[in-house]
Amino acid sequence: MVALVPTLLRQELARLAENDARLDGRGRWEARDITLETDCLYNGEGSAKVVWGDTIVYAGVKFEMRTPWPDRPNQGSLMCGAELRPIAGRKYEPGPPSPESIELGRVVDRGIRESGCIDMESLCIVPGEKVWGVMIDIHVLSDQGNIFDACALAAIAALRTATVPAERFDVGEDYTLKVNGTPIMASFTRVGGRYVFDPTEEEELGGDERIHITLGDEGHLHSLQKGLKGVFTPDEFAEIFDVAQSRCVELRKLVANQEGN
Amino acid sequence: MGGYGDVKLLRDDGLRLDGRKIDEMRPMEIEAGYLPAADGSAWVKHGLNVAVAAVYGPMEAHPRKIQRQDRCVIDVRYNMAPFSTSDRIRPGYNRRSREISKVTAEALESVVICERYPRSKIRVEIEILSAEAGTRCAGITAAAVALADAGIPMRDLLVGVASGKVEDIVVLDLDKAEDNYGQADLPVGILPNTGEIAFLQMDGDLSPDEFNLAMEYNFKAAAEIHDIMVDALKRRYEGGEN
Repeated sequence: MVALVPTLLRQELARLAENDARLDGRGRWEARDITLETDCLYNGEGSAKVVWGDTIVYAGVKFEMRTPWPDRPNQGSLMCGAELRPIAGRKYEPGPPSPESIELGRVVDRGIRESGCIDMESLCIVPGEKVWGVMIDIHVLSDQGNIFDACALAAIAALRTATVPAERFDVGEDYTLKVNGTPIMASFTRVGGRYVFDPTEEEELGGDERIHITLGDEGHLHSLQKGLKGVFTPDEFAEIFDVAQSRCVELRKLVANQEGN
Repeated sequence: MGGYGDVKLLRDDGLRLDGRKIDEMRPMEIEAGYLPAADGSAWVKHGLNVAVAAVYGPMEAHPRKIQRQDRCVIDVRYNMAPFSTSDRIRPGYNRRSREISKVTAEALESVVICERYPRSKIRVEIEILSAEAGTRCAGITAAAVALADAGIPMRDLLVGVASGKVEDIVVLDLDKAEDNYGQADLPVGILPNTGEIAFLQMDGDLSPDEFNLAMEYNFKAAAEIHDIMVDALKRRYEGGEN
């Protein structure tokens, strides 16, 4: 059954691809409906919920006070982790973090970190003694495809609404975390032989490799990742890179609109 | 518990710090069918607690040694999200969540008609997204609605509810301050239609009379919560879906 269903599904996806069609009738670069909600969790210093099609993820930001690394006495730290909890779907098992969840967390982490949207020196409280550690935790509650983009969106939206809990740690008044930019991820999966944006879980099941692109406000690349088995050509990359640019602009607007409310 | 005596939890007018009466519970909202991927699911907001439960199955029980020839096993995982509390929780299972998962599973096994599904497993996943005292009860309530949403036959809808004691007064449904500085906490899982109890824990100090009063409050609240649960399930299925 494990081998049979994907084989039939792959045949169907290949047939649809010939007519430039998709299982759910969407265009090749078309996303499902996305809703973003921020400040939705009482105990998160920043929080966001993303409903992307039938995929649901939450992200929460917590701060902790720690001593700086000896070689970077005036810098705080940022860490982003993702948990693919067994609640997210039938295929997920309990146990230690899977390679998939580690990859997910690290790819999202790199996009945010490398965009430079958090100035690590701004997280210093007392040089050499006390700095803030910012932790973004992503919780996937329902995986119905394209969790990478949903997680990255939730993570940056949560971070951008975060309040530094200085009062609770007795180091002054609470203030809004300064975030300079909105890095956004757009991911593409090969389905039926060609790349599509925002695959459903079914398309992922019958698809091949995926490529994750994180772009900053100016359209610069901040993180790339190829996952799963498969190869691609530079021309194929050029095509999805163009699409990524426009999708990222749209998603960034979604974050900005949410903040405007 | 512990550390009480210096924190005032009851106001001069006899109401609690958040303005509730002694036997008043925090507001509760329930949505059935919250997660598209699951066979059954529920979202419960109780005060500032948020619990989400999902049910997968019945499915084949793996590994085989957990199989029971005459009934299914219920595999519960209660987990708190790292951002659910004031201080971040390190991801992963700890002793507290293991214990809660175990007794919750046993409570649910007492309510589900397990004989209907021999050699099977039903997975119940409980995720706490926001925690302000009372998460295990919110988790039990969410799990019961999720099981009903999944169409699993049960003897009743199990309701999670707690009472406790603050400043020598028995109160219904402790909030965070009351839980931290109060004198006792009595979380139970109640079957409102049969009047039975499937889940019971307690810590602190209660006299027999105080215990009886706390139980009385619990049963009264369980009936209220049961109505909210039934209402959520009706909203999910009215219009003839399924």
